Amino acid sequence: MTALAWVLWCGLAVSLPAEPTREYQVKAVFLFNFAQFVNWPAGAFADPQAPLIIGVLGDDPFDTVLDEAVRDEKIGARPLLIQRYQRVEDIGICHILFISRSETGRLEQIVARLQNRSILTVGDTDGFSRRGVMIRFLSENNKIRLRINLDATKAASLMLSSKLLRPAEIVTTGRD
Amino acid sequence: MLTFTTVMEERIPRPFLLRSAAAFLAIAAVCAAVAQDATTDTDRGPSVKKLKQMSLDELMDVEVTSVSKRPEKLFETASAIQVVTGDEIRRAGATSLAEALRLASNLEVAQINSQQWAISARGFNNASANKLLVLMDGRTLYSPLHAAVFWDVQDTLLEDVDRIEVISGPGATQWGANAVNGVINITTKSAKDTQGLLVEGGGGSKLNGFGGVRYGGTFASGVHYRIYGKYFNRDSTRFGDGRDGANNWEMKQGGFRVDWDADANNLVTLQGDFYDGHVGQPGTADISVSGGNLLGRWTRTLEGKSSISLQWYSDHTHRRIPGTFAEDLDTHDIDFQHRLTLGDRHDVLWGAGYRLIDDRQHNDYPLLAFLPAHVRRQWFNVFLQDEIALVKDRLLFTSGAKLEHNFYTGYELQPSARLAWLINKEQTAWAAVSRAVRTPSRIDSEFYSPRDPPFTFLQGNPHFVSEELIAYELGYRVQFRSELSVGLALFYQDYDHLRSIERVNSATPFPIFLGNLQMGKSTGVELTADYRATDTWRLHASYTQLHLDLHSKPGSTDAAPVDTDPEHQFSLRSSLDLPGHFEFDAVYRLVARLTSSRVPAYDEVDVRLGWSPSPALEFSLVGQNLLRPSHAEFNATPSRQLIARNIYGKFTWRY
Repeated sequence: MTALAWVLWCGLAVSLPAEPTREYQVKAVFLFNFAQFVNWPAGAFADPQAPLIIGVLGDDPFDTVLDEAVRDEKIGARPLLIQRYQRVEDIGICHILFISRSETGRLEQIVARLQNRSILTVGDTDGFSRRGVMIRFLSENNKIRLRINLDATKAASLMLSSKLLRPAEIVTTGRD
Repeated sequence: MLTFTTVMEERIPRPFLLRSAAAFLAIAAVCAAVAQDATTDTDRGPSVKKLKQMSLDELMDVEVTSVSKRPEKLFETASAIQVVTGDEIRRAGATSLAEALRLASNLEVAQINSQQWAISARGFNNASANKLLVLMDGRTLYSPLHAAVFWDVQDTLLEDVDRIEVISGPGATQWGANAVNGVINITTKSAKDTQGLLVEGGGGSKLNGFGGVRYGGTFASGVHYRIYGKYFNRDSTRFGDGRDGANNWEMKQGGFRVDWDADANNLVTLQGDFYDGHVGQPGTADISVSGGNLLGRWTRTLEGKSSISLQWYSDHTHRRIPGTFAEDLDTHDIDFQHRLTLGDRHDVLWGAGYRLIDDRQHNDYPLLAFLPAHVRRQWFNVFLQDEIALVKDRLLFTSGAKLEHNFYTGYELQPSARLAWLINKEQTAWAAVSRAVRTPSRIDSEFYSPRDPPFTFLQGNPHFVSEELIAYELGYRVQFRSELSVGLALFYQDYDHLRSIERVNSATPFPIFLGNLQMGKSTGVELTADYRATDTWRLHASYTQLHLDLHSKPGSTDAAPVDTDPEHQFSLRSSLDLPGHFEFDAVYRLVARLTSSRVPAYDEVDVRLGWSPSPALEFSLVGQNLLRPSHAEFNATPSRQLIARNIYGKFTWRY
């Protein structure tokens, strides 16, 4: 019987390279999904063929995964584009913005600056919903959940599909 | 190889040997392939493409820790733990908790007839196997009547089961009495995870018909609930000579769960179930079973890893077996736990618990009696365990003890010491020594037959003492990249004061009483391997070996004890996702013969084909025990019943 055990251990190298995290693959696909389940006000796009832009502000945790998630994809006639920004001032036209953990200290200024612009803000850092970020990824039981701040999406004139709202947890500004 | 085949040859007929050898070679091939793969640096991470095809609900269900389904902590646990996930239960086509437990290879699971199961770990299996602690959402399921579980009344909507943790070996220090040979911990999903409407139903050749409905909603922000109802009707099993066991049965069950996230640090859960059913008996009125439970739990997260939880439950069961037995039992239980970190090296868990049972035996039938008929008994316990980081993130030493007081034997101390060596991120080695006791239950001390004196057949024994175990365990887990993980546990368990059947007067075979004049040792191996061949194909193989050596002590008038456990169990499970939203799953299992009851070795196959034409809808066709029309799993011939092939269809609709 021990033979079976030994065969299973057959000379395997044990020190192995780390795997790219599945967490950010799933989060990238969520961002892609948001593009389909959110309605932007008419003025957010120049024309029906204008691209839908997903931005990452700060240190990019997605590596190449986000690019992979939107490659060759279209929402109606719109292609999807990924842009990366170092500072909030760099943000031009943008529809979905992932705010990296690296921006935690500057979050108030970022949120204030984006106010009244129809940008769906997304983050995965503690306290982000309370501080006005619209969608927060939560890790719970090893799975990703969504927490949506409806006050913030309404203020930005964004319409979220019920398909997105139903499985999410709804909060208001000030609660996280 | 030599030892393996020689042992198998002695016990198991040739076709089994061939199949085992084939499976063995398959594993070896897989192993070799992975070994080769480990040297090349191919990146085979799960594909983004596949994630994009998922609905939002499905995305939220994806486990994000790379590797296995286990949270990291489990990988580091210094005990022989296996986890069966809700998804594995669904994909195996299991129709009851007992069938789901077949997926845990560190258990022995044998179906006795349509309604009864024998389930144990590391030996001593029986229809009333009494060395397991079985819990569902923190509620103890084994009965104080005989320390065993009435599996026919343990149920829930299987869709709502989040996971089943199965620990083989003693878990008494943290978990409590009866956790001698193992712990089964069934956890259902939070109400937050079961929102929306679910309707399921189906039927087949032995499972005549079944249906279930669940609805989950929100009362207010942060307060989620679900309610469910289910029903099934199962066909009877037959004896070897073709006679009908007449034990067809049906059950109705309903329940609810409310989870209130009061704030970020406080979680309150309230849940309950009720059930009602009847089971046929040959030549007499049906067995009736009914009951219900209500449980409340408050968990408060304190700073860092610290938390406190307070739980209470009440449980009522009723069982009437016309001609034999009738009982009404109420259990009330309250438990407190506090986890705290001291300095940066100590992770302390302590707690206290109290249980009250109110057992009313009706003693309506002349066959047997429990005396006194009506008892109120209480148990209380305190426990403390400390996990010390001897070397931070490398060497963890956990020691602790539980002190428990019971009516029969007074105070019992159950200490344990466990050491986990986290060699690196991919490997854990562990070792443990523990003492556990199986305290007396009513059947050991207060069971008489016939009902009225003189008790010419069986007499109670107020001096019955606890069965004792000292267990020595070693284990090792290893993860090869993200594809393959292997777990191994070895054990040596030393028992004393095991239950024996003694003559009241050594000159006459009857009356008898239950004594403690047996002892014994067991040794064994539990080996599992999980292999993710591709993103869409997973394999799981397991082998469990057990050797029991039991004997009577001087002065015993019992016959030499013989175990009722298979020396070898092997299984191979394949889970395949096919294009077009099809799933194909197959499980092969092989169980060696049972010596005492002469149940021959058997192997069987279960297969499931599932199809989800849309995310809301799922159809499945399941074949259970497909290799032959029927086979035996337990009991000696006069009472042995055969388990027949069952084919059923099922639909699930979620909205």
